[in-house]
Amino acid sequence: MSSLILPGRRRGLREKFTRLHWPLIILLTMIAGAGVITLYSVAEGNWQPWAMRHGMRFGVALAILVAIGLVPVRFWMTLAYPIYFVALAALVATPFIGEIHMGARRWIELGGIQFQPSEAMKIGLVLGLARYYHGLRADQVSHLLYLIPPILMIGAPIGLIFIQPDLGTSLLLGATGVVMVFVAGLSWRLGMLGIFGAVAAGYGAYRFELLKPYQIERILTFLNPDRDPLGQGYHLLQSKIALGSGGLDGKGFMEGTQSQLKFLPEMQTDFIFTIFGEEFGFVGAMVLLLLYLAVILIGLSIAMASKLHFARMAVIGVVVTFSLYVLINTGMVMGLAPVVGVPLPLVSYGGTVMLTIMAGFGFVMSAHVHKDQDMMRSSELL
Amino acid sequence: MVGMNAHDPERQETVSRRTFLFGGGISFLFAGIATRLYQLQISDHEKYLDLAQENQFNRRILTPLRGEIIDRFGNVLASNRKNFRVLLIPEQARDVDQALDRVSKIFPVSIEKRARIMREIRRRGTFTPIEIEDNLSWDEFSKINFDLPHLGGVLPDVGETRDYPFGEASAFVIGYVGAVTERDLAVQETDEQRVLLRQPGFKVGRDGLERTYEDELRGEAGEMDVKINAHGRVIEELTDDATPPEQGKTLALTIDAELQAKATEILAVPGDRMPDEPQSAAAVVMDTVTGDILVMASTPAFNPNDFNVGINPDLWRSLNDSPYKPLLNKPISGVYPPGSTFKVLSAIAAQESGVSPKQTARCNGRVWYGNRYFHCWKRGGHGTVDMKGALKHSCDVYFYEIAKTLDVDVLANVARKFGLGQTFEIGVSGQQRGVIPDRAWKRQYFAGQPENQPWFQGETLSVIIGQGYVTSTPLQLAVMTARVASGRAVRPRLVRAVGDIVLPAPDAPLIDINHDYLKAVRAGMNAVTNEYGTAARSRLEDPKWQLAGKTGTSQVYQITAADRERGLAEPEDLPWARRDHALFVCYMPYENPRYACSVVVEHGIGGSRAAGPKAREIMRAVAEKDPASRPTIDPNSLAQRRGTGVRAG
Repeated sequence: MSSLILPGRRRGLREKFTRLHWPLIILLTMIAGAGVITLYSVAEGNWQPWAMRHGMRFGVALAILVAIGLVPVRFWMTLAYPIYFVALAALVATPFIGEIHMGARRWIELGGIQFQPSEAMKIGLVLGLARYYHGLRADQVSHLLYLIPPILMIGAPIGLIFIQPDLGTSLLLGATGVVMVFVAGLSWRLGMLGIFGAVAAGYGAYRFELLKPYQIERILTFLNPDRDPLGQGYHLLQSKIALGSGGLDGKGFMEGTQSQLKFLPEMQTDFIFTIFGEEFGFVGAMVLLLLYLAVILIGLSIAMASKLHFARMAVIGVVVTFSLYVLINTGMVMGLAPVVGVPLPLVSYGGTVMLTIMAGFGFVMSAHVHKDQDMMRSSELL
Repeated sequence: MVGMNAHDPERQETVSRRTFLFGGGISFLFAGIATRLYQLQISDHEKYLDLAQENQFNRRILTPLRGEIIDRFGNVLASNRKNFRVLLIPEQARDVDQALDRVSKIFPVSIEKRARIMREIRRRGTFTPIEIEDNLSWDEFSKINFDLPHLGGVLPDVGETRDYPFGEASAFVIGYVGAVTERDLAVQETDEQRVLLRQPGFKVGRDGLERTYEDELRGEAGEMDVKINAHGRVIEELTDDATPPEQGKTLALTIDAELQAKATEILAVPGDRMPDEPQSAAAVVMDTVTGDILVMASTPAFNPNDFNVGINPDLWRSLNDSPYKPLLNKPISGVYPPGSTFKVLSAIAAQESGVSPKQTARCNGRVWYGNRYFHCWKRGGHGTVDMKGALKHSCDVYFYEIAKTLDVDVLANVARKFGLGQTFEIGVSGQQRGVIPDRAWKRQYFAGQPENQPWFQGETLSVIIGQGYVTSTPLQLAVMTARVASGRAVRPRLVRAVGDIVLPAPDAPLIDINHDYLKAVRAGMNAVTNEYGTAARSRLEDPKWQLAGKTGTSQVYQITAADRERGLAEPEDLPWARRDHALFVCYMPYENPRYACSVVVEHGIGGSRAAGPKAREIMRAVAEKDPASRPTIDPNSLAQRRGTGVRAG
């Protein structure tokens, strides 16, 4: 390990601590704080069952973030492929040893700890792709031959998650992968071709009944919410009513009538933005959105400041995943995206997603702390 | 190679450019989200605020209790009882089929019922609660309540349903209530009324007083806003702004429920010679002073309690098909030739035409008139009879002799003065007018047949003994008797008070006729029962309640010579529907009349045999109780009863 760091350039832990991106940590904490107060409100003014655990989980996740951030980013680069393949192996194993929750086989249990391989894959794919593009020249990025590995790397987990079935996660992974490939420098011509192919694939999936009826239902309902006001569209309509009735400054903390009267489903997870928006209004919701945007832009600035290509790509991957979460979730509760079951990062209740996000930002932090690492040494290293 | 890549500035530049582009794209999408947020929360805020209010607050109609119907002494004839029922709010159930499946684990929900529920959902929309089942047992009801968390959209409810403690005995007077139809909704004047009528399980009067006094009995709906959650469960009742419902007005009748029940019982007692034959009969008892109808009974009857919960089709069919017409309100809707009871009026008309009561006629059993014989009921005749004797023995020939010169218009005029050929304002629909024939009537009746239009004197011979064209209802016969007894144009009534407003007894002016004529008739009626006349068996022994009456047997089918040849001699040999009707009218006490009664037993064969004894028993019960001498219920105490929702035991 010591060979990773040149003598004399080794930084003390204390010094590294000061180099942590504290504004980012504070922003993340504020977002999680919004989650805690909203969960407190959803539980009708109780710390149980969600708010307290959400806060504690964030504490643990923050510690993990810092821990990952203090480890040199090049260490993570060496682990990138192993992480990707372990996650892939777990996904392959899931259909055989996984637990069925709510009709889908998504969880596996290892040593008493339950985890979702699909969540691990969100990190695995980002690291794997970043590692792959680290090894490519600019002119190779758009070369068809060099495009085959990333397509396989993205396609394999998507296919495995899709059959679980989990449409939301597979779409999210696919989108993350595609954006990473694009940012890595894929030519516009190929990009367009890819989009066309994706649309064709989507149509094929529909045509050959690869989608579960409820998934088709969701998409159709999204396309026309008035189609079925009591079924899928009902939730969306209730969500819009709750948000819209919140108005400029909201109904006040714990005063959200629609949420308190349980007109909304999944209030503590997928529809939590609605409750926040109902109680804190347009002003509150905009503040939350700006916090997210700030995190994203800070992430991108860290990416651009990184000298290591792996770090750049990994940070971008994390930020892309994070952005997609925020956009899909907020879009979904406002009727701009189909209701696919994507949580609002750090605000929605749920340990696994929080861990994934915070671990992801751990890599961002690592890239930031070690942004000045000499490129030459990376060549010595490998 | 790796090292070379690490220094690739072109690659770094590309990534930076694309990252910038990505950042711009993300910001753009965030702007899109913000725009949408602005649209929802600022532009369309009002609209969603309204929808939220709609979600959250629900205006509940508070159904009023239907007014009670009580008899003259406060006995309850119609009231309300608790009805445990289960409603379904389709909008909240989401999946109606599934909800019904779950409910059917507690009590059966038939396919027909499901079909009806689906129909109602289509008709009333998904927001209106729809009744799944009513009149549940407490056991079923509590199970539903217990399972409620799993029964989305299912709403247990305690409603009210109509209860008729006297059942069949009061069926025709009270009528019954039934489910609201489209036509009921169409005739409502205000939207409020329509909303009230759309409440699940709401019933409106379908027949009898329930229908006539629908507006008074219905009451005023109340309103209350309730705060509900997404499952339709009431979180809070906003009672401050609520208007409580107002129970419908109490209807106090002139009926004496006990006597009504007793009379119904007496009517149903089978005749001595035909114990298996159901008695299709009617009885009316009236106060000869006030016109109060104390008894208006009809047998056989239906049970109104079977109707207000939705009658089962088999029962309905059997009621409809029965030859004894259990759905016919015989006292007012049954028309019968009055037969010899009509002679009471014939005797008055005779005197009006100058016949003295002392004048006699000789009866040898038949009279030749026109081209045929007119027979007296008594073969061999009565010998010489005067008016009193003619009434006492119901001699037909005596009246035939009078009829030879009597102007039918005079007879008809008398009949109308005494209440025949007309209907009365008693609040129960379905009254028949009957027929009192005169020249004008015949002209009109045979409008298309000029050869039949002139009145033939021979027809007067039939009419004078209450046969031929003349028909009447038991109520009319009771009115006739009351008027003969009192000399006043007494008018019958059924309703004494509506709410706390006591209706005055209708005025009963003296009848415009020489009242000496009436004395002769009354003496004849007295002789019928008390001087070994045709209804000597119907005499009341108590001198305080001396009963005067008149029998009547109206021919339904004339036994022909051919019938006799076939060995058909006795009326019992005829099929039921061809036998004569038995009638009896009477009043008491003879000296100072207070009660008048009429009884008709359809196809009862003989007035003295079938109708008289029933009338006597009814009058005996009336005499024992003497309801006219007892104070009726105080209208102020009626006011107190209202709103308390008193239940019949």
